[in-house]
Amino acid sequence: MKKSLYETDEAIIEGIRVDDDKALAYLYKLYYPMISHFILNNSGTDDEAKDIYQEGVIVFYEKIKDNSLELSCQIKTYLYSVCRRLWLKRLAEKGRYASRIDDSESYLMLEDDLTQHEENERQFGLMGEALEQLGEPCRALLEDYYLRTQNMQVITEKFGYTNTDTAKNQKYKCLQRLKKIFFSTYKPQI
Amino acid sequence: MEFTMYEQIERYLSGAMPPEERIAFEALLLTDPRLAVRVQEHKQLLDALQKHGQRTALKNKLSAIHTNMEVETETAPVSGAPSPFLAFWKRHSQTMAVAASVSLLSVFGTLWSVQQLKTPVQQQTARYIELRREVEKIKKAHTALLNNINEGAKPVPRAARFIGTGFAISADGYIVTSSHVIEGADSLIIENKAGLKYKVSQVYSDQNHDLAILKIEDPAFEGFGKLPYTFKTTESDLGEKVFTLGYPREDIVFGEGSLSSSTGFEGDSTAYQISIPLNPGNSGGPLLDDKGNLIGVISGKQAGQEGAAFAVKSDYLLHMISELPEKAALSPITLPKSNMLTGNSRTQQLKKLKEYVFIVKVYN
Repeated sequence: MKKSLYETDEAIIEGIRVDDDKALAYLYKLYYPMISHFILNNSGTDDEAKDIYQEGVIVFYEKIKDNSLELSCQIKTYLYSVCRRLWLKRLAEKGRYASRIDDSESYLMLEDDLTQHEENERQFGLMGEALEQLGEPCRALLEDYYLRTQNMQVITEKFGYTNTDTAKNQKYKCLQRLKKIFFSTYKPQI
Repeated sequence: MEFTMYEQIERYLSGAMPPEERIAFEALLLTDPRLAVRVQEHKQLLDALQKHGQRTALKNKLSAIHTNMEVETETAPVSGAPSPFLAFWKRHSQTMAVAASVSLLSVFGTLWSVQQLKTPVQQQTARYIELRREVEKIKKAHTALLNNINEGAKPVPRAARFIGTGFAISADGYIVTSSHVIEGADSLIIENKAGLKYKVSQVYSDQNHDLAILKIEDPAFEGFGKLPYTFKTTESDLGEKVFTLGYPREDIVFGEGSLSSSTGFEGDSTAYQISIPLNPGNSGGPLLDDKGNLIGVISGKQAGQEGAAFAVKSDYLLHMISELPEKAALSPITLPKSNMLTGNSRTQQLKKLKEYVFIVKVYN
């Protein structure tokens, strides 16, 4: 087996911090079997395992990106604890209360980390819905401008506007609509 | 113009505003709460939008990794055909090796210990120890020490190889001992407590009954005089008090016990079993009863069982002596007729007896 560059937890975290996709991929592959085993052993399916695990990795990833990660244990334990918590919640939502959770690892109680995550998740869901409702080409326009940070000139040409002012005007209208939709449901809780 | 105002807000939020305009804008924010709310909302909206974008990208990335991983795990078994077994073997080979060796160890350990438990039982019936003493090692060590002390002095006489016990059977110098004591002997020397020392020769040896007759050849030998003990012709009774004298070491040693069985080792009817603690060197010693009758000749003991020693019955000794004239072409041996030990205390008996009990030194 090929020796990895990411032999320590610190190396993995540092890799993710500097946007190294290989570190993320390495981490992902390293602990997927553990979580998959846990979910399957506790009345879950492969797809659910994948879902939960990705959500867990996202929590971990966003914590690193936020610089709010205070890791007092191994990444392994942290991921296991997060995924365990997420899975319990998922089971509760589905109305299946696990009478007994079959644990293969030790775990931590992570209430604080997850309330932040739930808020993020809610916001993410609502923004997704809002963007969905917004429809094309508004969505593409906004994403191009705000996420892919393309300049107005490129956008003007791409969307076939006569000049950048028209494009800017269009962008403004789209943003106003998105704002209306988004804030109709979203009230920040933090 | 709302449109330009939003451009302004955006520039403020992205930090692209020049310092003077920024200060002016911040001042405006303080006085205009509606503007402040708008800025706040706009910030939240853009944040949410950006987070949404980032997370969507991350999700796509993870899904890609996952797909990639699944492809890898699916193709892996194809590349190595016997891989499930090999993978299992690789992962568990060490554990299996340990388990295998533990089970091997316990199997053979059990077999071995069962064997160990059995063997003493076999030994009890199978091992008979002849009680002649091998002295070479001790002696050699002793002489080596002497040599060291007076180096260059004259060579020390060669030490005896084996030692046993013998006793007189007639006044004219016939001695009885066990045949295994003198086995392979070149020359034989007997000594007693009084310091008498004679060279003897082997006259007759009967390996079946483990008996041998020696004769003193020394010209200085003038005869023993009257022997104090007689030979018992009938068989002695069970439980009778018996005793012996012998040379398990350089000095004469008395041993007492009782006749515990009328047969010897493995039911040998020519011998008694006696309960006297005996040691190598006792072989050939006389076995007498309370009255001072000679009832047997010490021959050996059973290994691993203390107090189970054997002595050849005097019956067979007498029988052998009577056959001597024919077999060895000797003049008949006159055996002692009167017993001077009867009625004496044990210490008195021993005093009289010990002169006729010899240490037999075997050289070869």
